[in-house]
Amino acid sequence: MRLTRTSLALAATAALLASASGCAGSAASASSAASGSTVTIGESTTLSGSIASLGQTGLQGVQLAAADLNAHGGVLGRKIKVVSADDAVTPATGVANVRTMVDGDHAVAVFGPVASSIASAEEQFTSAQHIPIFFHTSNDIGLTTTTFSKYAFQIVPNTVMEPRAVADYLAKTFAGKPVTIATFAPNYSFGTDTVASFIQALKDLHVNYKLVKQEFPPLGATDIGPYLAAIESAQPQFLFNAQFGGDLVTFTKQAQSYALFTRTQVIAMYDYSVLQTLGSGAPAGAIGFDRAPFWAGSSSAMQAFVTEFHATYGDDPSEWAILGYASVQQWAWAATQAKSFSGDAVSAALSGATPPTVLGDQQVRACDHQTELPEYVGTVSARPDPSAGGIPLWNTPVFVAPFSDISDSCAQMQELRK
Amino acid sequence: MNIETVITESVSILTDASTLFIVSAGLTLVFGGLRLINMAHGSFYMIGALGTTTAVAAFGIGGSAGFWLALLVVPVAVAALGAGVEVTVLRRIYGKEDLAQLLATFALLLVFGDLGLRLWGSDDRTLSPPGAVGGRFHLDGAVIPQYNLVVIAVAAVVGAGLWLLLGRTTVGWRIRAATEDPESLAVGGTNLALLRTGVFALGAALAAIGGAAIAPLEAVGPGLDTQIIVSAFIVTVVGGLGSIQGAALGALVIATVETLGTLWVPSYASSAGYIVMILVLAVRPWGLFGTPER
Repeated sequence: MRLTRTSLALAATAALLASASGCAGSAASASSAASGSTVTIGESTTLSGSIASLGQTGLQGVQLAAADLNAHGGVLGRKIKVVSADDAVTPATGVANVRTMVDGDHAVAVFGPVASSIASAEEQFTSAQHIPIFFHTSNDIGLTTTTFSKYAFQIVPNTVMEPRAVADYLAKTFAGKPVTIATFAPNYSFGTDTVASFIQALKDLHVNYKLVKQEFPPLGATDIGPYLAAIESAQPQFLFNAQFGGDLVTFTKQAQSYALFTRTQVIAMYDYSVLQTLGSGAPAGAIGFDRAPFWAGSSSAMQAFVTEFHATYGDDPSEWAILGYASVQQWAWAATQAKSFSGDAVSAALSGATPPTVLGDQQVRACDHQTELPEYVGTVSARPDPSAGGIPLWNTPVFVAPFSDISDSCAQMQELRK
Repeated sequence: MNIETVITESVSILTDASTLFIVSAGLTLVFGGLRLINMAHGSFYMIGALGTTTAVAAFGIGGSAGFWLALLVVPVAVAALGAGVEVTVLRRIYGKEDLAQLLATFALLLVFGDLGLRLWGSDDRTLSPPGAVGGRFHLDGAVIPQYNLVVIAVAAVVGAGLWLLLGRTTVGWRIRAATEDPESLAVGGTNLALLRTGVFALGAALAAIGGAAIAPLEAVGPGLDTQIIVSAFIVTVVGGLGSIQGAALGALVIATVETLGTLWVPSYASSAGYIVMILVLAVRPWGLFGTPER
C-alpha cells in the first residue's frame, strides 16, 4: 500500500513537472515568435513523387534567401528559421502541414506549394489565421480571384498570362502572316484552361491563325504515339504544348522519335529543369516560355544569385528557386517596412508596394497581390552553353512580354471574383 | 479509321502491353509462388529505370553497347536486392494475415521511394534509345519508331523465357508445385525457402527489365514506382493472380482499351482500365486465367 501511494505520488509529481515544463516550453515557443531571437517561416511543398523536383528547388530558393538574410542580421533583428514539410500532392496534407507550422512552429509566413489545388486549400486556412502566404510555384488564376485573400501573394505569372505571352510573341513575330496551330495539353483544368487562354489571346491579338488540331491526352499519359501521329498528319507550323516538367520531357523524347520537330515548331515550357534533363537531346529551335530564366536577366543581383546558388547546391537555379528566393525577399522587405511580423501589418505593407528582389524592383499590384513580372519567350539553342554546364539554353535576344500586355486589368480580376 | 491510324494504334498498343506484361508477369509470379501481394513491386521497376540511366553513364561505353550491357546488369542487381528483401523482411511475414503482408510491402514502397530520392535526387533523367534502333521507318504512311519494336521484342523474349522456365524445367515445375502444395514439395526435399527467394528475385528482375526497357522512352524519376503499380495490379487482377498467360492477355486487354479509349472517348480513357477490372471481377472474380479459390 505504502509503495503504491509512493509510486502514485512520484508519478503525480512527474506529471506535474512534465506539464509545467511543457507549459513553459509552449510559452517560450509562443514568445519566441514575438520577442525571441528567431522567427519562423514555413514551406509546405511537394518533396516526393513525380513533381518533387519543382518542390525541392523551390525550397532551396527559400532556404537560400533565409540564409542570405541571416548573414545580414536577419529580419527585425531576428534570425529566420525555415521549417518545411512534404504535402505529397494532397490538399489535406498541405493544410495539415501549414496548420502545424502555424500552431506548432509559430510560423509568421508560409510559402509554396507546387499544386494549385493545394495552394487553394492552404490559402483558405492561412486567411482564417491572418498569416501571409506566398505562392512561388502554383499559378492558377483562381488563387488571385475566386479564393483570393488579402494575405495571399502571387509572384508567378498566372495561367492566363503565360499563354498570352506566347500569343504576344507570335503576334509580334509573324505580324499578320497566316499560321497553322495545333494544341496539346493534359486533360485536366490546368491544361484545358491554358489552351483556352492561348486561343483567346490569339483572337484578341488578331493573330492570323488556323487551328488544325487539338489533342488532350490523359494527365500523365506515358505513350503518346497516337496523339503525335494525329498531330503529324495535320502538319501544323506550331504546336502549343501546355505540359511541363517530366511530362514535357517524355513528350519531347517521343516526339523526336516521330520526327515531329522537323516540320513543326513546338512551343512549351522549355525551362532550365527540362533543358537540363534533355541535355544534348534538347530540341533546337523549339520555342520555350519561362517565368524567370536566369539567363535572361543580366542584372548584377541575378548574376550574384546564380553564382551563390551554384556554389551552395552545385547546380544553376530553376525558375522555381528564383521565384522562391524572391518571395522571401518580398516578405522580409514588408516585415521590415511594417516593423512587425503580424500578418495584417505585413500584408498591408506589401500590397501595392515595390520591394527590391533578385528579379528587380517589381510592384505587387494592390488589387490582386500579383507581382508585375513579365513572361519570357525564346528559342532553344543548338549550342551547349559552357557557362551552364554544357546545357543548351535559349538563343538571344529573349522576347519579354511585359506585365501590362499579358495581365488582366484590376477591373477584370474583380469581375472574376464574382 | 485508315490504315495509317490502325498501324500507329497497333504499335502503341503493343508497346504499352509489352511494358505492362513484363512488370505484371513479375507481380503475378510472386503472388503465384509466394501468395504475396507485393506493393513494392513498382519500386523495383523504378530502381531498374533509374539504375539503367546510372549504369549507362557509369559504363562510359560509346554507342549502344552501354545500354544493352545495362539491360543485362541492372536486372541482375535488382534481383539481388529483391533476394535480400525476401530474406530479411518477407520471410517473417509468410503465413501472416493478408493485411500484415500488404502493410509490410507498402512500407517497403515508402522506404524505397525515399531511398530513391536520396540516391538519385528529385530531378528527372533521360536516356537516348541505342543508336542502332533510335530511328524510325514508315509503313503505309504510319511512322514507327524503331525502339518501340525493341520494347515489344524484349517482352516477347521475356514471355518465351518464362514459358520455357515454368513449363520445361524442373525449377519451373517446383515453382508451380509450390503454389499448389508447398508442404508436399518440402517433404519431397525441395528447399522451399531458397525457392521462394529465387521466385521473389525473379519477380524483382522482371520489374527492373520493364523499367530499363522503358527508360529511353520517358522521363525517369521519382514517382515511377506508384505510376506503374496500379496498372500492374489491374492487369494482374484481370489476367488472374498467379497466371503468366493471364498477365499477357490482361496486358493486351488493358493496353487496347486504354489506347482505343483515348481515340474514341478521351474523357473516359483514364477510367477504362478500372472499368474493365470491375467488369472482370463482377463476372469472373478469379480473372481470365486464374483459378477459383477452393
